Amino acid sequence: MKIVVCCKAVPGSVTDVAVGEGNALTYRSQFQAMNECDEYAMEEAIVLKRQMGGEIIALTMGGITTQEVLYTAAAKGADKIIRVDAQVQDPRAASKVLAAALKKIGGDLILTGTQSRDSLSSFVGVATAQQLDVPFAFAVTAIEKDGDNAIRVRKELGGGRSADVRLPLPALVCIQTGIQPLNYVPPARLMRARQQRPTSLSLADIGLTQADLAPRGYRIVGVAPPQRTRQAQMIEGSPAEVVTTLLAKMKEVR
Amino acid sequence: MPGNVLVIAEHWKGEPEGVTFQMLTRGRALADQMGCKLDVLVIGHGVGGVAANLADKGPDAIYTLDDPALETAACGLQAEAAVAALRQLSPRLTLLGYTLVGMELGPAIAVRLDVTAMTNCVSVDYVDGAVVVARPVYDGSLHARMAIDPDTPALVALQKGATPTLPLESKNAPVEKLPVDVASLPKRGEVLQFIEEPVSDVDITKADIIVSAGRGLGDPSKLALIDECAKALGGMMGCSRPLVDQGWLPRERQVGASGKTVTPKVYIACGISGASQHLAGMSESRMIIAINKDPNAPIFQVAHYGIVGDLFEYVPELTAQARKG
Ligand SMILES: Cc1cc2nc3c(=O)[nH]c(=O)nc-3n(C[C@H](O)[C@H](O)[C@H](O)COP(=O)(O)OP(=O)(O)OC[C@H]3O[C@@H](n4cnc5c(N)ncnc54)[C@H](O)[C@@H]3O)c2cc1C
Ligand SMILES: Nc1ncnc2c1ncn2[C@@H]1O[C@H](COP(=O)(O)O)[C@@H](O)[C@H]1O
Repeated sequence: MKIVVCCKAVPGSVTDVAVGEGNALTYRSQFQAMNECDEYAMEEAIVLKRQMGGEIIALTMGGITTQEVLYTAAAKGADKIIRVDAQVQDPRAASKVLAAALKKIGGDLILTGTQSRDSLSSFVGVATAQQLDVPFAFAVTAIEKDGDNAIRVRKELGGGRSADVRLPLPALVCIQTGIQPLNYVPPARLMRARQQRPTSLSLADIGLTQADLAPRGYRIVGVAPPQRTRQAQMIEGSPAEVVTTLLAKMKEVR
Repeated sequence: MPGNVLVIAEHWKGEPEGVTFQMLTRGRALADQMGCKLDVLVIGHGVGGVAANLADKGPDAIYTLDDPALETAACGLQAEAAVAALRQLSPRLTLLGYTLVGMELGPAIAVRLDVTAMTNCVSVDYVDGAVVVARPVYDGSLHARMAIDPDTPALVALQKGATPTLPLESKNAPVEKLPVDVASLPKRGEVLQFIEEPVSDVDITKADIIVSAGRGLGDPSKLALIDECAKALGGMMGCSRPLVDQGWLPRERQVGASGKTVTPKVYIACGISGASQHLAGMSESRMIIAINKDPNAPIFQVAHYGIVGDLFEYVPELTAQARKG
């Protein structure tokens, strides 16, 4: 089984966010890390490979610094690491790039996460499946093989409901957090992984041009702290004072 | 631009989900502002009851796509069916819930129809001839506002609880069955069974007071602090999803979109950032108290009372004073 895991590098401790050129946000960030549910997708890929054999390819799209997450993926157990050299915030365009790369890479099973921490859109996984025209399932919490050419997955429907779905392969599955325990990566393994050179794909390599990536159909008009729907009353003072006030407020609720 | 506002109804076992009524309320206001009609699309099998339920809740017309094949359809087929329906109706603005169901269906439809899609939206308005949405970015402490180009059909997925449900005047909406040949569409997988979580002994939905722990707790050994506090207040302990994912607590304690929806008298969020999927499960609580180190944490957007600080300074004190009575 050839498994491709889409891992996104997401910025942490973001500050100075503003609307920049080309319908994109600009920001400063202290570090980049692998998106949380993509880490879970990597762990699931490792378990599946152990059961069925095959290889794991970690794929990311981003600038050169996003290569960091590929080293993490290699340290966890990815056999090959690939970066598409493109910087795209628009989820629609991102799915176009990933789909074009995946067409070139191939794969029986493609894993993505459910949501990336920076764009918070929950869009790219399913959208990529649709561009590839393959079956998909969102928020998957278990995967098992079902014959030679299919998988059976359990996916969340919300409110404590879920469904078991049979998908013919190739398929794309959006992995939900918690599917496997996350394993700690020892620093020595990470050091070794850094010696691996990621394959870099340009847009031309996957048959796209910069023009294909332009966000279409909308304009970002601003970015700001949200308008409070409810004006939270901030309670200040020593812990004892604060708690006394709170308990009094709580008594008023019926 | 021609076309109506259309709400894709979400329903389960013959009942519309709460988010559907929220979207009808918002959709009605938008349709009136845009000078168009409000339509509803109900997809599934045996959805006559859902359509009848919604007919007097504000829409001008209801369209159903009712087919036995949709009973066990994986999302791929549901999306193809919805796309066929939407091609017939050509709405200018399609609203659906940013729920687990909508997170799967929305992008699937948007790609096929090639419409502008905005997911995880906290608001949708009509401003100077354009549909404008706001949605969280980064850790949710900021909202980006996007204006959809006029004359561009759009699909907007609204967070559950983002807009209220208001009683609307009935338009006695006619119900029309759309002619879509579902059997001819690509199947792309199949639902083998639906599973509903069994009722457990620990039922946080019954608690009057919930003290909930988030990742800010840092360490599972600290859970006892939260549990003691909940007990001292005569309530129960809840939690955010990462605690369950890490195996600190069982799923039955989880509050949110993929956990329990709770509406206690008092909900105390300790070290919880307030992601939309967490809010989806507790924003209707009568009083929300948030304790968080980060003054910009989105949880303060829904809290009635906020404490900016270290939960380890406040929670034990709360326990102590509650015990004194
Ligand atoms: C499809 C889907 C479904 C989901 N379903 C759910 C769901 O049902 N329920 C759910 O909860 N989440 C759900 N999530 C996950 C959700 O998006 C968030 O990732 C999650 O809610 C974050 O949990 P948290 O707030 O505990 O952690 P974090 O976001 O990491 O926040 C921790 C907070 O603790 C604060 N903090 C740290 N230390 C302290 C301290 N000492 N004192 C006070 N504050 C401190 C920090 O400032 C921070 O705000 C879902 C996600 C997806 C994609
Ligand atoms: N730049 C990227 N590189 C690799 N995978 C990505 C990228 N952007 C999004 N994804 C995948 O798509 C999922 C959903 O992201 P999003 O739609 O942005 O919330 C993520 O969990 C990743 O698996």
